[in-house]
Amino acid sequence: MEKSLKIAIYSGNIPSTTFIERLIKGVSDSGSQVFLFGLIKQKTTYGNQVQVFGYKNTKGSKLWVLIKYTCLLFLFKPTQKKRLDAILNKTNNNTLYSKVKYYPVLWHQPDIFHVQWAKGLDEWLWVQEFGMRLMLSLRGAHINYSPIADTKLAAMYRENFPKVAGFHAVSQAIAKEACKYGADKQHIQVVKSGLKLQDFLFQLKTTNPQAPINILSVGRGHWKKNYRLALDAMHALKQLGLAFRYDIIGVSGEEALLFQRAQLGLEQEVGFIGPLPFKEVQKAIKEADVMLLPSVEEGIANVVLEAMALGTLVVSTDCGGMKEVVLPKQTGYLVPVRDAQAMALALKEVSELPLETYQRITQQARAFVEANHSEAQMVSGMLGLYKRLMLEGSDKVN
Amino acid sequence: MTNHYQMTKTNTHKGRIGLLLSAAPGYSETFFRSKIKGLKESGFDLVLFCSENQHGFKDCPVVLLPQQAKNKLILGIKLVWVYLGLLPYVKTLRRFVQLERTDGKAWLPILKRLYTHAPVFKQDLDCLHFGFGTLALGCENMAAAIQADMAVSFRGFDIGVYPIKHPQCYSGLWDKVSKIHVISDDIKQLLYSHGFRDQAPVVKITPAIDTHYFSTEQGHVCVEHPIQLITVARLHWKKGLEYTLEALALLKQQGIAFEYRIIGSGPEEEALKFACYQLGLQAQVFFLGKLGHEEVRQHLTQAQYYIQYSVQEGFCNAVLEAQAMGLLCVVSDAEGLAENVLDGKTGWVVPKRNPQLLTEKMIEVIQMAEMEKQRITHEASFRVQEIFSIETQIQKFTQFYSDK
Repeated sequence: MEKSLKIAIYSGNIPSTTFIERLIKGVSDSGSQVFLFGLIKQKTTYGNQVQVFGYKNTKGSKLWVLIKYTCLLFLFKPTQKKRLDAILNKTNNNTLYSKVKYYPVLWHQPDIFHVQWAKGLDEWLWVQEFGMRLMLSLRGAHINYSPIADTKLAAMYRENFPKVAGFHAVSQAIAKEACKYGADKQHIQVVKSGLKLQDFLFQLKTTNPQAPINILSVGRGHWKKNYRLALDAMHALKQLGLAFRYDIIGVSGEEALLFQRAQLGLEQEVGFIGPLPFKEVQKAIKEADVMLLPSVEEGIANVVLEAMALGTLVVSTDCGGMKEVVLPKQTGYLVPVRDAQAMALALKEVSELPLETYQRITQQARAFVEANHSEAQMVSGMLGLYKRLMLEGSDKVN
Repeated sequence: MTNHYQMTKTNTHKGRIGLLLSAAPGYSETFFRSKIKGLKESGFDLVLFCSENQHGFKDCPVVLLPQQAKNKLILGIKLVWVYLGLLPYVKTLRRFVQLERTDGKAWLPILKRLYTHAPVFKQDLDCLHFGFGTLALGCENMAAAIQADMAVSFRGFDIGVYPIKHPQCYSGLWDKVSKIHVISDDIKQLLYSHGFRDQAPVVKITPAIDTHYFSTEQGHVCVEHPIQLITVARLHWKKGLEYTLEALALLKQQGIAFEYRIIGSGPEEEALKFACYQLGLQAQVFFLGKLGHEEVRQHLTQAQYYIQYSVQEGFCNAVLEAQAMGLLCVVSDAEGLAENVLDGKTGWVVPKRNPQLLTEKMIEVIQMAEMEKQRITHEASFRVQEIFSIETQIQKFTQFYSDK
C-alpha cells in the first residue's frame, strides 16, 4: 500500500484565507496527512487527517511550545537540532521566536513543506537540508507587484527562487512573472483555483439587461483594483448617453473615490457599499447585468470566477491571468488595462447584446468554470503536484 | 510655556493675531518665516497655536495645544490641570458655553473643546485665524468667546475634498466667520457649493514663493536629448501621477525620448512604481523621493518641462517655483492651477483625468518653436516675480488683517 504523504500547508496563520482552507480540506479528504504550523489565531476544527502544531499569541503558549520541542529534539534528534541551530546562527536568525516557529517543523518533519506566500520564503529554505521538499505557491501581490516597488524583496526572490524544488502557480501569467526572478520553468506547475460549484448555482438570465444597466464590482479599495479607471469609464458611459447603475461592494469611505465620484458628477449613478457577507454578495452578483473587473493586476480574480459560475456576464481588464478565463466574446469581454474609453465601449456593447448572445456567453462561462475551476480539479491538481515533487526528490536521491 | 505668552494688546501695534495651524513650520519653510517677519514689521503681534513644534520654531510665540493621552489616569490629571488653569477666564468660558448651547451642542464636545483649545481662551486677540478650514470645525464660537474676529483660510483639501466625505460640515461656520481667505477663485466658488451665501467677505490671496531663491538667475544646465521632464509632488492620489504616467507611455509610443523625474514620497509609491513597470517606463521614470529645497532647485535647473497633472490642487507652490525658474509648465485644470498658469500665455492647462489630451499637449509643446517657448517662459517667470512674491503677499495679508 502506498504510504500517505505528510504535507505541511504553511501560511503563517491558522486558520488561513478561504482558498487555502479549501486546499487544506481537499488535500486531507484525499487521504494525505496535512500538518499545520504557525500562529493559531482562532480555534478551528479540522478532520482527522489534519494535525495542528501551532502556538497561540501568548507568552505562555510560545514558552510551552519552545520547551516541549527543545526537549524532544534534544533527546531524540540532537544532531538535527544542532544542525538547525547552526543554520539559524549562520543566518543571524537564532532567536527564541524563530525556534518556536521552526522546532515543531523539524520535529514533525513533513514530506513536503508548502509555503503559501512568497514574501516569507527566505525563512523556510532550511527545511530542504533535512530532506523535506520545499514548495512555494505563486500568488497575487507577492509576485505581481510587491517586488517591483520593493527592490530588497526582488533581490531575495532572485537569490532564493532558484533553490526552490517546486512551484505552484495560480495562472500561466504569474508563472511567467516568477521566471523573471529565477524560478525554473520546469519546476512550475499551474493549478488553477477551484470553486465549490454546488455553492454557486447557475441562473440563466431570461430578460435583456434593462436600462439602467446594472454594473457591479466587488473587492476592497486597493489600488490594484483601479476603481479610478472604472469611474472614468462610467463618466465616459454617461457621456455616451447610456443609462446605468454602478455599485462597488467592498469600499465605502475611500476619499479618492468619493472625491472622484463628486468631481465627475456621478453621485446619482454610482454607489459605494461596504463589505457584505458572502450570501449578500452572491445575491448582488446574480442581480447585476455585468460584473466589472477594472484591475491593473490580478492572479485570477475569484470574484470573476464566481460571476461566471452564477450566470452574470463579465467585463474584465486584460491583466494578470484574466485572459486565461475571460475569452473575448466566448466567456466574457476583455478590455486593455488603463483604458477607460475601451471599457465604456465594451459596457455599451454588452448593454445592447441580444438576449440569446448574453445567454450563450454566460452559459459558456459556466461551462468553462466547471471544466477548469472546480474544487475537485484544484485538489487533484495539487495532489499530482505533490506526488511529482516527491518523485523528483526520490530520483535525485537515487 | 502657555502662561508666558498671556500678553495683552499693545496700543502701538496694529493688532494681535492668533494663528491656528496643525504644526509649527519647519526650518526649511523660509517662506513662512518671511511672512511672519513681514507681518511683524507691518506692526502686528502674532502668536501661533499648534499641536507640535518639532523644529523649535520661535520667530513668534508658539503655544502648544494640550494633547490627548492614551492612559486614562494621565488624561484625567491633565484634564483637571487644564480646567483649573481656565478658572481665571470664567467670563470667556461662560460666553463660549452659552454660544455653544444656543447652537444645540452637547456638553461633552463643549468640555472636550475647552480642553483641546484651552490656551486660546486665555488670549486677548484681535483676530483668531484658522490656517485651514478643517481646523475651524467645532471651534466656530471660539473667536466670539474671546471677543476677537474670526478669520478662516481655505486652501484646497479642506474645501475640495473634506466636505465630500463630511457633507454640511461647514454649515455652522458661515454665520460665525468674520472674514474668509481663499487661495484661488476656484476655491472661492467651492465655498458656495458647500452652503456659503456671502455671510462674510472673501479675500483671495494666492500663495507666494521666495522669488529671490527661485529665479531664472540660477541658469539652466539641462541636456537637450532626451528631453527632461519633472514633477515635484507628494505621491498622493490628488496629484494625478498615474494619469501622468499613462500619458507619458503614450508619449513614448510616439517615439519621443524623455526622462521624467518625480521628487516626493507618499502612499502611492507602490502603485506608481507598478504603473511604470506595466507601462514600460522603468527606463524613463525616476523616483527621487523627498528632497530638500536646494536639491529641488538643482533638479529644476536640469529640466525643461514641468508637469502638474493633478486631479485636485489648491494652487500649487511647486508650479510657481518651476515657472520662476524658467521651466515650461503643463498643468491640469484642477481648481487653482488654471489661475496659477495662464493657458497659452505662461504655460498650458489641460483638462484633468485625460492622459490622451495631456500627451497631445506635450507633443505640441515639445515641437513648438524655440522663440515661442522662450516667450512663454519669460512671461511666466516675470508674472511670478510680479504677482507671487512674498512681499506682495505680506502687503495683502496686512490689508486683510487691517480691514474691518
